[in-house]
This record gives sequence, structure tokens and C-alpha cells, in this order.
Amino acid sequence: MTNILETRGLTKRFGGLTAVDSVDFSVATGSITSLIGPNGAGKTTFFNTVTGLYTPTSGTIAFAGRSLVGLKPHEVTAAGIGRTFQNIRLFGNMTAVENVMVGMHSRMHANVLGILAHSARVQHEEATARAKAHALLDAVGLPAQRADDLSKNLPYGDQRRLEIARALATDPELLLLDEPTAGMNPQETAELTQLIRRIRDERAITILLIEHDMKLVMEISESITVLDRGAKIAAGLPHEIRSNEQVIEAYLGRGAASMAHAHARNGGEPT
Amino acid sequence: MQTRIRKSMIGAAFGFAIALISGGFAGILAGLVAGLINGYVVPEAEPLADKRRAIVQGLTVALVGSVLTILGIVLRNVVIDPIIGVPLNLIGVAIAAVGAVLLCVLVSVVMCVVRTEPPARERIGMAIVVGIILVTYPWLDQFLNLRFMNEVIPVLVFLLMALGLNIVVGYAGLLDLGYAAFFAIGAYAAAMVSSPHFGLSLSFWLAIWVAAAVAAIFGLILGSPTLPLRGDYLAIVTLGFGEIVPIAIKNLDNVSLSLWNYPLFVDVDLTGGTKGINPINRPWLPIIGEFSPSNPIPWYFLILGIMLISIFFISRLRNSRLGRAWTALREDELAAGAMGINTVNVKLLAFAIGATFSGLAGAFYGAYISAIFPESFRFDVSVMLLCMVILGGLGNMSGVILGGIIIQFADRLFLPQMSTVVQKLIVASGNESLRDINFASDFRLLLFGLTLVLMMVLRPQGLVPSNGSARVLPVAAGEARHD
Repeated sequence: MTNILETRGLTKRFGGLTAVDSVDFSVATGSITSLIGPNGAGKTTFFNTVTGLYTPTSGTIAFAGRSLVGLKPHEVTAAGIGRTFQNIRLFGNMTAVENVMVGMHSRMHANVLGILAHSARVQHEEATARAKAHALLDAVGLPAQRADDLSKNLPYGDQRRLEIARALATDPELLLLDEPTAGMNPQETAELTQLIRRIRDERAITILLIEHDMKLVMEISESITVLDRGAKIAAGLPHEIRSNEQVIEAYLGRGAASMAHAHARNGGEPT
Repeated sequence: MQTRIRKSMIGAAFGFAIALISGGFAGILAGLVAGLINGYVVPEAEPLADKRRAIVQGLTVALVGSVLTILGIVLRNVVIDPIIGVPLNLIGVAIAAVGAVLLCVLVSVVMCVVRTEPPARERIGMAIVVGIILVTYPWLDQFLNLRFMNEVIPVLVFLLMALGLNIVVGYAGLLDLGYAAFFAIGAYAAAMVSSPHFGLSLSFWLAIWVAAAVAAIFGLILGSPTLPLRGDYLAIVTLGFGEIVPIAIKNLDNVSLSLWNYPLFVDVDLTGGTKGINPINRPWLPIIGEFSPSNPIPWYFLILGIMLISIFFISRLRNSRLGRAWTALREDELAAGAMGINTVNVKLLAFAIGATFSGLAGAFYGAYISAIFPESFRFDVSVMLLCMVILGGLGNMSGVILGGIIIQFADRLFLPQMSTVVQKLIVASGNESLRDINFASDFRLLLFGLTLVLMMVLRPQGLVPSNGSARVLPVAAGEARHD
């Protein structure tokens, strides 16, 4: 199996703080991979470095065989990485459909002259984009009557779905989801788990997930990588991570590992 | 019924104010304005589908509108005019009152009925009503002996600029405090190629394109150093540009340039310095001939045409891939980048396209007064434009036009008229100590400031907010979202 994303020695420092510390990381093509770790472990910084919001201090990022180091965020998106944000960052004063259509920006070609002339090509592109946006809203389960609501007026769960639809609109090969279920109730989380799986299965999009909901992570992931204080401390299959002492320590503190083991033997889960 | 009458007070207030301030036959125009405003505002608040009820609605709002307008006419022509020494002309008052009522009723009822149509036909109907008023206005003005035309034309020039500024500030969220610089650049570019200054003397029809292109290029040049800046920082830098350009123009009357001691040109007068450039070629068209300074009608239709074409193209841009990218940029620059938008290009396009419309306005303005001076492009022009955009509603063309019309007419027409009347009243009252107060010049900026402050506090989204959503100045929005 090939890796769609691979980082080698990826490091990001902010002044004296090393937020990401020489991380070797890979995502297998077509997999659902999770990135976990306690708060402040550097997961989001890792995402931001991969997507070009930050320039890495050192190390390499290879996406589908091509280096992403030094690319601007929009170039990374054009290369085929879509993302959502931990704290929802929709375009609040745009409608749901418009938000999704913004996501298609790098896949559309209309230029100023074509727009002013309202050429047949531009009209066709616009109509196609709109239809596709509605289809995407439908695919993530946003009610059709919400399509023309301003995104800031949507309920929280729908905003999360809309962010996924907008990221899908960039037509990605790899989708980075930053805590997609944060703030959701168990039922919404279950629906979203289904959605993530469907996106991978039906659209053949590789998924990289940052998530705190361990139940979801264990259930959905085919591979898990754990960061702590910027460094990778473990990577492997879910059941390997579940019983990894370093991981348990990172989450619960030194000395907790043995306790947790005892607990795990009784059928509990380290969360 | 109550909302109907309450909302009718908006148009009625305008009718009353215009009739009171302008006097003479302006009362008839006041009736028209009252009818137009009420015919728009009331069906908006109380939509009807039934034509007969719409006619009743139109008559009701016209009644409220005309009663107050007539009150204004009477107060001005019967009470005030005799005090300030204008002879009472009862027949004139009667004609003004009857004319005002007729126009008010006609426009209100037609508008209310048009608003019952389905959306597509409603829009065409409203365009026809507004179109008829715009096309017939010059003759109405002449017929009523109003002499507003010489003010209406600069108002349209400023509206065109406000529409351009709205692209930069309203759509893309880039607070530009030096937008008048592009007006100056466009005006000077056109003047240089379309006057005896350099012996080029191109036709106006060519010069206006030169002006648009040069303004767009300067939009790119002045835009590029501001790319990493946001909110307040951007505002300060653009404020600087707005100051630099007129000063540079003032001083570029004696330019020498040499390259390694080899003089390229010596003592070239680029801009005419403080004297400006004068005369500038006027447009020429078959049948009409050269546009004359004494006949404003061709000028009116020229600037109106430029404006309508601009509105047409701006709305195409707005509803396109680029327009969405601008809005996304304004809403969240970081997310916009992550969604594949090249924020650098999109910002530069906003500056360049925004500047283009200012360049068009500058070229027209120079040709219209046939002379330009660096003094015409000072900071207050930028501030005035920003006021127009904010008052109406950031990011919404009809709001910007409405806000622009209110501010511009208040500034150019009603404040000076009011000040004349008040001064005459003071003289008539014999109070010598207040004689030297001049409303128009003394309180002008105070009134602007007051309007801005009140708008910011009471209705930051403007008179006509876009999409019915709150949209506030980029500085305020930027602070809320700084991270």
C-alpha cells in the first residue's frame, strides 16, 4: 500500500516552543487515519503545517509524491488536500450553498473578462457548480431548505456538516478533519461517523482525523498516530494504541499506566 | 394599517423637508420623492398580492406623504418666504400643492401595484418606474425651474465612486481610506492625454479608457504593499496613500530625471502643479456636437449611462467566482486561503477593479468641469465616500446608492439652501450677532460626524443591509476575529 501523505522529521518551532518535533508520519492511501494526543500536543499545528498555514522549520512533507514545503494554503488545496477547522470557520454572512461554492474556487476557471462578458462557459460553469454544491449539501445531510440560509444562522451540527461539504467541494484526495464531532451529542456523533466512513468508501477520499472522542477513533480508524508535546510517541493499529503504555501515560500521567492496565483488564477503556 | 402609516412617515418626512428647504416648485419634486419612497418602503413591510388592496395601500401612503409635503410647501411658501422677502404667490403655491399631490398619488399607487407582481416582473416594473423618472428628470428640472441639474451631475460622479469603493470595502472587506487618490489619478491621466497640456488632445472617448486603465494599474501598485495588512493597519496605510497622491500631483510640475548623469528629461511639467490642467477636452458626439458647459442634459445622460453600465458589470462580478472569493476573504481570510483562494490575487483584483470605477469617474469629472486641481481630491473626498458606503449599507449596491444620494444631496443642495434660508431669517429677525453663522460650511463636517456616529451606534449594518444580515466595518470585524 502506498502512502498519500508522508512527513519526515517535520518540525515547527515558535520561538523557543517546539510545537511539532521531528515527526515522521504517514497516511496510507484510502485509509482512515487518526491523529490523537492530549490537549496542546501539537495536532492542530501539525495540520496547519501540512496545509501551508505555517512554514515548517525543518523536515519534508510529501503529498502524492510531491513536496508541499513552501506552498501557500491555496496551492496545497489545489494539490488535493481539503480541511475543516477545529473552531468552525465558515463564511458566516454567506449562504450554505455559497460556502460550498467558495470551496470549488480552485476547480473553477472563470476570469474577470469571462465574468464581465458572461460567456457561455462561465454560465455553464456557474450552473454546474451550483448543482454540485446542492448535491454536496445533500450528501452531508444538510436539509435542502437550509441551503439558502446564511451559514451563521445554521444550527451547530449543520455548521459542522457544512464545513465538511465545503472541504469536499475542493475536490480533495485527502481530507483533514480537525475534531469534527467536537460539541456534538452521541447521536450526532454516530451520524457523523457514518458520514466519514461513507465519504471514504463512496468517494475514495483518504481521511486524516484529529479527534478526542476515543470511542469514535477506535471504531473508525485503521491506523492511529499519537502525538505528545509535539513528538510522535506511538503509531499503529487501534488495539495496539489502546494498550500502549506511553500513550496511557501521556493521557493520564506517569504511574497511571499500571492502574489503567488493571482497569483495562476489567473491560474499561483508557480515555 | 398602523405599520402602513408609520412607514409612510419616512417618505413623508423627506417630502416635507425637501418642500420646506428648497421652496418654489421644488414642492412638486418633494411629492414625487415622498411617493417613490413610500411606494417602496410600505409594500416591503406589508406585502400584498391583491391589486385592489394594493391601490388602497398606495392611496393611503400617498395621503400621508402629500399631507406632510403640502404642509412643507405651505410653511415655506406662505409663512417663511414673505419673512425673507420673497413675494407671496398664491397661484404658485396652489400649483405646487396640486402637482405634489398628483405625482405623489401616481407614483405611490403605481409602485404599490407593481410590488404585487411576481418577483421577476416586479423587478422589471420597478426598473421602468425608476427609469422613467431618471429619463424625464432633466426636463422636469427645467420645467419646474429647479436648477438642480448642476448638482445632480457631481452627485452621480460620487455615486459611481462609492460603487467602486464598495467593491474594496464592502465586498472584499479592505478598509481603504485613500480611495480619492484613484479619482485623482484617473482625472489626471485623462487630463494629460486629452488636453493641450502635452499636445496629445485625444478624444474624451479614448481618454476615459486610459483613465480607467491607469487607475487600475495604480490600484495594483498601491495595493501590493498593503497585502499583508488587515483592518486598522490597512486603513492607516491607505490613508497615507490618499495624502501622498495629491501632494505628489501638486509637486510634479517641475520634474527632471537623469540616468547616470545622462538627463532623460529636464523641467517637465507633468501635472501643472497647483494650477492644475486646464482646459480639458469635452466629449463630442454626432448630432449633439461638443458637450457644452451651459447645457447639462448630455452630461447627465453620459454619467447616468456610465453608472448604469457600471452597476450592471459590478453585479455580474458580485455573483461570480470572483465575487464569492471577495466575500470569503472579508469573512475569514485564513479559511478563504484554505479553501483554495489565492488571497493575494483576489485582493489585488479588488483594488484594481475598485480603482477602475474611480478612474472612470475622474475622467468624466475632469471633462465636465474642463479643469482639474490637486485641491479637488483631498482627504474629505475619501471620507465622504466612506460615509456614503456606510450609511447605505456595506456590500449592498442599492444601499450604497441610497446612502450616497442622501449624503450627496444633503451636502450639495439642501445644506446650502437651508443655510441661505436660515441666514435670511436671522437677518429678518434683526439679530445681528448670529449674522455670520453659515450653516453649510460651519456645520457640514459636524453633521457628517454625527451621522456616522449615530449610524454606528444605532444601525451598524446600514440603511439597507445586504442579505438582511449585519455587516459591519472591517476594523470592527477584524478586532472581533483577531487570532
